[in-house]
Amino acid sequence: MQSHNNKQEFEQRVEFLKEKAKEVRYHIVDMVYTAKSGHIGGSMSAADIMTALYFDILNIDPAKPRWSERDRLILSKGHVCPVLYTCLAMKGYFPMETLKTLRQFGSILQGHPIRKTPGVDVSSGSLGHGFAQSIGIALEGKYLKKDYSVYVVLGNGEIQEGLVWEAAAAADKYKLDNLVAIVDDNRMQNDGFTDGIMPMDPIDKKFEAFNWEVVKIDGHNMAEVLKSIEQARDYKGKPVCIVAHTIKGKGVGLMENQQRFHGKPPTEEEFEIALKEIRGEA
Amino acid sequence: MEMKAAKVPTRRAFSDRLVEYGEIDPELIVFDADIGYSTYTHLFGDKYPDRYFNMGIQELNAVDTAAGMAAEGRTVLMATYGVFLTMRAIEAIRSFVCYQNLNVKFLSSHGGITPAIDGVTHQATEDISTMTTLPHMKVLAPADTESARKSVDVCMQTPGPCFVRLMRDPFFDIYRPDEEFHLGGSKVIRSGKDITIATYGDIVFQALEAAEELAKSGIDAEVIDLYSVKPLDYATVRSSVEKTGRLLVPEDHQKRNGIGYELAAYFLREYPIPFDHMGLEDTFAESGSYYKLIEKYGLSSAHIVERAQRLIK
Repeated sequence: MQSHNNKQEFEQRVEFLKEKAKEVRYHIVDMVYTAKSGHIGGSMSAADIMTALYFDILNIDPAKPRWSERDRLILSKGHVCPVLYTCLAMKGYFPMETLKTLRQFGSILQGHPIRKTPGVDVSSGSLGHGFAQSIGIALEGKYLKKDYSVYVVLGNGEIQEGLVWEAAAAADKYKLDNLVAIVDDNRMQNDGFTDGIMPMDPIDKKFEAFNWEVVKIDGHNMAEVLKSIEQARDYKGKPVCIVAHTIKGKGVGLMENQQRFHGKPPTEEEFEIALKEIRGEA
Repeated sequence: MEMKAAKVPTRRAFSDRLVEYGEIDPELIVFDADIGYSTYTHLFGDKYPDRYFNMGIQELNAVDTAAGMAAEGRTVLMATYGVFLTMRAIEAIRSFVCYQNLNVKFLSSHGGITPAIDGVTHQATEDISTMTTLPHMKVLAPADTESARKSVDVCMQTPGPCFVRLMRDPFFDIYRPDEEFHLGGSKVIRSGKDITIATYGDIVFQALEAAEELAKSGIDAEVIDLYSVKPLDYATVRSSVEKTGRLLVPEDHQKRNGIGYELAAYFLREYPIPFDHMGLEDTFAESGSYYKLIEKYGLSSAHIVERAQRLIK
């Protein structure tokens, strides 16, 4: 009976997150279209992961953005900050209307995340550096014997940076089991498919070779996303890497696997089609 | 002014004080990148093993990791050689330490061509240029044992990032333990009325030697130690130059974008005077003893004498 209740509760959480993820995707598209600039494709591929973190996993208090016991979330693939800003606004760190100021002069929502924005733990955007800073944050947590967990989201293109592997080695040395890295492996990067630009497969084997615990999931299957992050959080003795297979532009057919939507906004027509599809009207 | 041979290089003097400072600030963390026996931070690690992190040969990750810790409110001192720190890790220093204005302090050893015999890959001859250009960064370049010790206290007590350029070999001691030493300060170490020679670090001693030589030909040179490279003590240099009427800036650094450039811009704008500066002339040095190198690359006391005489004519 207990396990049946647990199962039911888990399913309810998954259903709740699926609905939230739609809302997140809606705002990402709206925001990038309004700003006429921003990275939409990678925001959409990371949307389910980020939704699970912000609306279920993270122990945070938007009223106290610097609360010392909070869980930390570092978006190391900082260019996909539309997904981060959306989650922060929906959680109440700042008003939803602020999303319309993305990348504009005077906005708290800079082109890449900065620490001054409520809810952002460290600046990121130059690839690899968010991950490396998360090592310091996790080390601080271990050193002070604090209970917080550190989650860091990386891109599959990002891990081409040598810095990522410096950081991976350091996480192993200090046995940072309070650290969970999630690779949003959407198979693409700015100039096209990663396989053709600088292949990084097998990603899982690389992290395993650095003595990380590794799990592979479908990054758009909310039950898998939620379960894997929970298990990674509770894993002891090693840092955990979740390699999430995802689709760039996920949720809007015309954007999926399209290089054009790495860093370009949709046209008016594409925008209308996208919103309808996300709302389930298409 | 009393000048005696230094017993230890500034890198050692700094780390000795760092060990003492570990008691003053029991929260202080020290990072090194596998040269703890050269920067002497191993002394800190020996005394406080749980506050010492040897990050291995990965300067870039070490600086970012230090930034991550500092973002949590901690002060971290990161130690390595200047050329690796300011070249390999510069983006982490710029975008994650300086931009976020975090309490990461840098022990940057082997500044200038002082790691002479190690060769060009280990000589930091562009560090002042890059570090002084970064917003929020403060830069100190102590010349002797006492000023290197005091640099620890100054960099720890100044909020935000601070870079301390240290040297491989011992030179001379000129500061007393009770001497004034502060951020934005400098010290007139020899008074004179005919020309101002302003420099920092190892070249301070070449300038002093040059001043003695110039005295023989009746030229009375004032020598200023610009130990606070950023912020720079313009006021002291200005009042000296108002008296002497000319300024010579030799430095152990590329001539381009060094402190000579900074002072040239200042005096051109504020108080034009006869001016000259000296440094590496758009070239790399090479392996060899320090004294052979300053001879070949134009930074010895003899070169300073010659340039000073030319400026006075």
